[in-house]
Amino acid sequence: MTPSLRTEDLTIRFGGHVAVNAVSCDFRPGELTVIVGPNGAGKTTYFNLISGQLPATSGRVIKDGTDITSLAPSARARHGIGRAFQLTNLFPQLSVLENIRLAVQAQSGDGWRVFTAARTLTGLTAKAERYLEAAKLTRVAHQPAAALPHGDQRKLEVALLMAMEPDIYMFDEPTAGMSLDHTPDVLDLIADLKKDQSKTILLVEHKMDVVRALADRIIVLHNGELLADGAPSEVMSSQIVRDVYLGKSEEPA
Amino acid sequence: MTQDKTTGALIVKAIVLVIAAALLFAPFLFQDVRSVEVAARICIFVVLVASYDLLIGYTGIVSFAHTMFFGFGAYGAAIALKQLGNTWASIGIGAVAGIALSLVLAVAIGLLSLRVKAIFFAMITLAAASVALVLASQLSQLTGGEDGITYRTPDFFKTATKLMTDEDGKVLRIAGVRMNGKLAAYYFVFFTSLALFIVMLRITASPLGTVLKAIRENEARAEAIGYRVVSYRTFVFCITAVIASLAGTIYAIWLKYTGPDTALSFAIMIDILLMVVIGGMGTLWGAVIGAVLLVMAQYYLRDLMEVASEATANIPVLPHLLEPDRWLLWLGLIFILLVYFFPKGIAGTIMDKGART
Repeated sequence: MTPSLRTEDLTIRFGGHVAVNAVSCDFRPGELTVIVGPNGAGKTTYFNLISGQLPATSGRVIKDGTDITSLAPSARARHGIGRAFQLTNLFPQLSVLENIRLAVQAQSGDGWRVFTAARTLTGLTAKAERYLEAAKLTRVAHQPAAALPHGDQRKLEVALLMAMEPDIYMFDEPTAGMSLDHTPDVLDLIADLKKDQSKTILLVEHKMDVVRALADRIIVLHNGELLADGAPSEVMSSQIVRDVYLGKSEEPA
Repeated sequence: MTQDKTTGALIVKAIVLVIAAALLFAPFLFQDVRSVEVAARICIFVVLVASYDLLIGYTGIVSFAHTMFFGFGAYGAAIALKQLGNTWASIGIGAVAGIALSLVLAVAIGLLSLRVKAIFFAMITLAAASVALVLASQLSQLTGGEDGITYRTPDFFKTATKLMTDEDGKVLRIAGVRMNGKLAAYYFVFFTSLALFIVMLRITASPLGTVLKAIRENEARAEAIGYRVVSYRTFVFCITAVIASLAGTIYAIWLKYTGPDTALSFAIMIDILLMVVIGGMGTLWGAVIGAVLLVMAQYYLRDLMEVASEATANIPVLPHLLEPDRWLLWLGLIFILLVYFFPKGIAGTIMDKGART
């Protein structure tokens, strides 16, 4: 199958520090790829390069054959690249429903309507409510996002990505800091998404049980470089990954 | 619940409704020239401050060029009325010219500099406003320089114009108020201001309004879910420039005089900032409350202090403190107290009260 997303020698340098170093990788529809690696490996930076929050020093990002390396994040979002953030990144003073409706509205292109009352666009609201329902947030729909407990904020973060209806879903530790009783809600959402074979899913995750349950493929980043790429069983049993996680990756002198 | 469903929000809306009613009947309620002057100034500043609130309160853009756009509208009308005669057509030409100039500059400033950090943007607008002020005083053939321009408005607004007459052919009085051109001028100001305010209310309730709030709340995420933040910012900068320009035109028609002090000076910019901070940002209702309070204080605090100073004449020290000339000191103190007790402005703080979850 042709890749829906491809990075070619994607690199970013901060001064002398190479945070992501020539990472080339293909991602295909219907495949859930988990990106693992120790802290500081460049996972989130790699995400930022794909979704456009950071400009690449060199290399290319290609979505369905189109080079999107130089596009602004908003343009990439309209190209179908959706991104959830590791640190909760919401519209804190807006209600939960308004948060979701913004994402729905970004897709429908209604953002430029100046003289229509937002509440009369019932189609948007209905759609937003479906996503709230899926994320089990209906009961807090009218509270400001900032008033939610952490677990619900994380769910809203994921729901915001869902509501964008992208082709590429990028989750950055969606269950970070979540209590055990909330975690399944988010994992169910992602598992449901997996059933739709037209979607490409990228997931940064540390929890091994989550990785085992969801991954079709695992790639390992270490010091900004792509270290391993393959089926979960083979990557997780490989010596190189064990070394990275146990801190024995340095070459013998 | 979010802010607009609290009991506090109802209180704020009730206050605004009372203010609107008072302004609607102002010529009948307060039958002296000065009060009507104050009422007209309030109407125009409500529009000006509300449009600034769209910028700073809704979208989070700090601009110091708002008086510049106000001035363009005022000078546009003033110059057209002076050069082309006191007709409605002149007003139309002046208003359109003011809007056109405002739009061109707003687009230029917006596209060139809304990408940079907020502080640089603020400084660029400050520079543009300074240039406009200098130009207005230097191009004295056109603008009248420091003296400004006096001109006549359409005859319809003349005090001598009789809107209604009684049997003797004299101007009719209703409840003691003369149905003359001055009254027409006040209602022209009131209804155009009301219309502009309603337009702004509609904008804030539209999908675009939600996007603007999203940009204020979290610019990066708004961009990440697909909104071109620069375009939206430039657009709202243009809309508010046009509204400020129209407010300027209305003010020029009301005053029959336009000069740097009434239309372009930084004192007006500071007034706008004070009004938006006192009233509360991001609600539009705050603009109404802020404009009313500050304009009233500017006109009546002196009088009030004169009364207070005389009343306390026998007590030591106090009369000196309450000397009318010290009104600015007291205005400053009141402002500090307001900011301390209403950190989100009067409207913003009250609207947070009575939240029910």
